[in-house]
Amino acid sequence: MRRAAALAAALLLTVSGCTGGGDEPGDKPREGVLRVLAGSELADLKPILDQAERDIGVKVRLEYAGTLDGVRQVVDGRADGRYEAVWFSSNRYLSLHRDAQRRLRTATTTMISPVVLGVRRSAAERLGWHTRPPTWADIAEAAAGHRFTYGMTSPAASNSGFSALVAVASALSGRGGALDAASIDAAGPKLTDFFAGQTLTAGSSGWLSDAYLRRQGSSVDGLINYESVLRSVGASGKLREPLTIIYPRDGVVTADYPLTLLASAPAHAADAHRRLGEYLRRPDVQRRIMTETHRRPVNPEAAPAEPAAIPPELPFPARPDAVQALLAAYYDKFRRPSRTLYVLDVSGSMKGERIEALRTALVALTGGAGRFERFHNREEVTLIPFSGTPGQPVSYTVPAEAPEAELGRIRERARELTAGGDTAIYDSLMRAYGVADEQAARDPDRFTSIVLMSDGENTGGLEFAGFRARFAGLPERVRGVPVFPILFGEAAVTEMGALAELTGGRTFDARSQPLDVVFREIRGYQ
Amino acid sequence: MKRILSLVLAAALAAGVAVAVLLDRAAGPPSRTQPVRGVIGSEKQAFFDDPAVRAAFARHGLRVQADPAGSRQIATSVDLGRYDFAFPGSSPAADRIRQRRQVTARYSPFSTPMAIATFEPIAALLRAEGVIGRAADGTWTFDVARYLDLARRRVRWDQLDDNAVYPVRKDVLVSTTDPRSSNSAAMYLAITSFVANGSAVVRDAEAEARVLPLMGRLFHDQGYTESTSEGPFEDYLSVGMGQAPLVCVYEAQFVGRAVQGQIKPGMLLAYPVPTVISRHTLVPLTPAGDRVGRLLTTDPQLQRLAARHGFRTADAAQFARVTAEHRVPVTANLVNVVDTPSYDALESLLRGIEKGYGDGTP
Repeated sequence: MRRAAALAAALLLTVSGCTGGGDEPGDKPREGVLRVLAGSELADLKPILDQAERDIGVKVRLEYAGTLDGVRQVVDGRADGRYEAVWFSSNRYLSLHRDAQRRLRTATTTMISPVVLGVRRSAAERLGWHTRPPTWADIAEAAAGHRFTYGMTSPAASNSGFSALVAVASALSGRGGALDAASIDAAGPKLTDFFAGQTLTAGSSGWLSDAYLRRQGSSVDGLINYESVLRSVGASGKLREPLTIIYPRDGVVTADYPLTLLASAPAHAADAHRRLGEYLRRPDVQRRIMTETHRRPVNPEAAPAEPAAIPPELPFPARPDAVQALLAAYYDKFRRPSRTLYVLDVSGSMKGERIEALRTALVALTGGAGRFERFHNREEVTLIPFSGTPGQPVSYTVPAEAPEAELGRIRERARELTAGGDTAIYDSLMRAYGVADEQAARDPDRFTSIVLMSDGENTGGLEFAGFRARFAGLPERVRGVPVFPILFGEAAVTEMGALAELTGGRTFDARSQPLDVVFREIRGYQ
Repeated sequence: MKRILSLVLAAALAAGVAVAVLLDRAAGPPSRTQPVRGVIGSEKQAFFDDPAVRAAFARHGLRVQADPAGSRQIATSVDLGRYDFAFPGSSPAADRIRQRRQVTARYSPFSTPMAIATFEPIAALLRAEGVIGRAADGTWTFDVARYLDLARRRVRWDQLDDNAVYPVRKDVLVSTTDPRSSNSAAMYLAITSFVANGSAVVRDAEAEARVLPLMGRLFHDQGYTESTSEGPFEDYLSVGMGQAPLVCVYEAQFVGRAVQGQIKPGMLLAYPVPTVISRHTLVPLTPAGDRVGRLLTTDPQLQRLAARHGFRTADAAQFARVTAEHRVPVTANLVNVVDTPSYDALESLLRGIEKGYGDGTP
């Protein structure tokens, strides 16, 4: 009897083991489950994907990555076996990699959204853009004349910024074909005009919107982002002044969100991919996508009656060297240069592996990191190591040409960092704001931000409450400088969150990923 | 007692297994059908995914699973050992596979000519340039030589006379797929290289060197192109003129969508003069694959379904019936059809174009 019961129980266990709905991440491929490496902006599809599971029995598990990081995972094969599909705003960047094609199979376009301008109504009216849409050249002219300022994401970190960069460069190149290195050079002066108006940068489209909402009414007239993001911001009820959507009349670059099966995916995943693709393109689902996420349908049967016309699509470069040259010129020449201050904890608790990780992370930014993640030409970098008191700030300015010698000096300084002593976070931060203020008095026209890396609680000097009070009294020109706290070791998570909130920054987590990866991610926000 | 119970339980379990097996049998065809796996050009995916097509195969005891891939990939890099048949979109690619796998048999169940999908206002603009014209049967034509002349001079849309409908600062270029992976782009290259070579098929290095600069520009100046023929055609259907004023398509794609009622007023199909015909050629790799080829060629139901997907089959009346029923103006007689270059000559041209995309990764 007992044996029979045990047998029955074992059978039951086997059965439930096969069909149970465990949600553990990183497990093996399973029938009916599609593990998808996706752009973070697709989080807004969750209700629709939940409905898909109920309607067609395909469970979608999205894991998020930035476009460029996702591309890296596909190209070097890390995505194989961990995911069955990838789903980013576009496969264009991916296709520049020669090896990418053989790692991908069927791509199903699911929805589209052009990258356009959202301009606060009064500014749009002041510029006359609400009645006659401008060309990219008109926008560049307004930017150069200080009549228009905007926020845009960092093009090496985020697809909306990359699309905008390609659109404006294509339009201003004067060519009718895809960009090449020569046409980028030719468009250089006008592109510098255009980017003179960029006063806000971000590593992701979502954060860009948040940063705009925080600053609205002050120094930023608008945003360059996906039409869908701009409409979502408009519908959020958080805008003090509505955003008028402006479609540059000489063309745009459009995201088309291809749900793409990986070549390594097993047959059951191919089937799930096909069924999910068909489901997402059903007219009723397409309409729901349109209503809830403001992206446009791709199925002509679901097209709205009177859609705002999308301007012509500008050619997207297919040559990797053209894209390289464009990104390099953006960071090293066109955009306003950055001013970055690194407030670095070298207290006793940082001894050993931690200080070594910090050295490595900093050294990577002097050349070892990806081409567009290192310190850029013209960038002003200040290192402020601290323990019980702030150390002596040392500033470096990477020259516009031949940056290697200065980068070498930063590298040398990073290698010399040694640990010992207490942790005076807020005294050191105040010191950083003081340095930023002196620098801004001398040279105001830069993107300025502070990175705070600490592995523990504040143990000396000013407390957070005291810092908060002093922050309110800072001069106007530095009160907008955000702090990006890195959560490392035993960092005070809540307090760091409050600090980011107070200064308009955001936290980055280096407890779950290596410090150098986090340092590189922050580059998108500098 | 314990032992008896165990026996009863074991019997019950055995019975349960038997019942399960019987139930599975009772579910009908799925358990009796033989799975057949093929690798196909992606332009035929909609056909193989069609439930009616699956049902037609099931009636013959086959369950066909078709994996889409670029025709060029099928001919060169796909591991054919996993498949019962290969079904690329062109006969040169099929010939290459037959050579590679030492297969003599082949089936050509249907074909489709290359065509240009465009819009009435664009057609009117290009009519003034002599690129678009009208054939005696009322269908639209696309003069490839005149078009290449615009491309050679890098004429932009906003430089065309009296152009109020599409004053866009972009070169007048047909949108194609990626020539490095897709068959439809290779077919387009077969047409344009023939014309650029003075109305002769490109056969040797000398002719290749002559046509390559212009051929490269036709692709490189488009910038990014998608890897399957559905990509640019979907842009045409859903975004329209702004994104895709002229798109190189298979005639079958246009007809297939017309059957589904997705071709809107103002959209039109023009036939390049000259054009090439994409002969969808199935190469059997196993006896089961051979059955698929034979059925596609001979089964009336499958032939009828192929026509509904816009393909031209052996019986011209089927295609005529479908296009008449859905009022798609297609040309019944393609007169100016030219040969595609040999597999090797086309491959060499494609490699030349591939080089123009540059090396390295961003």
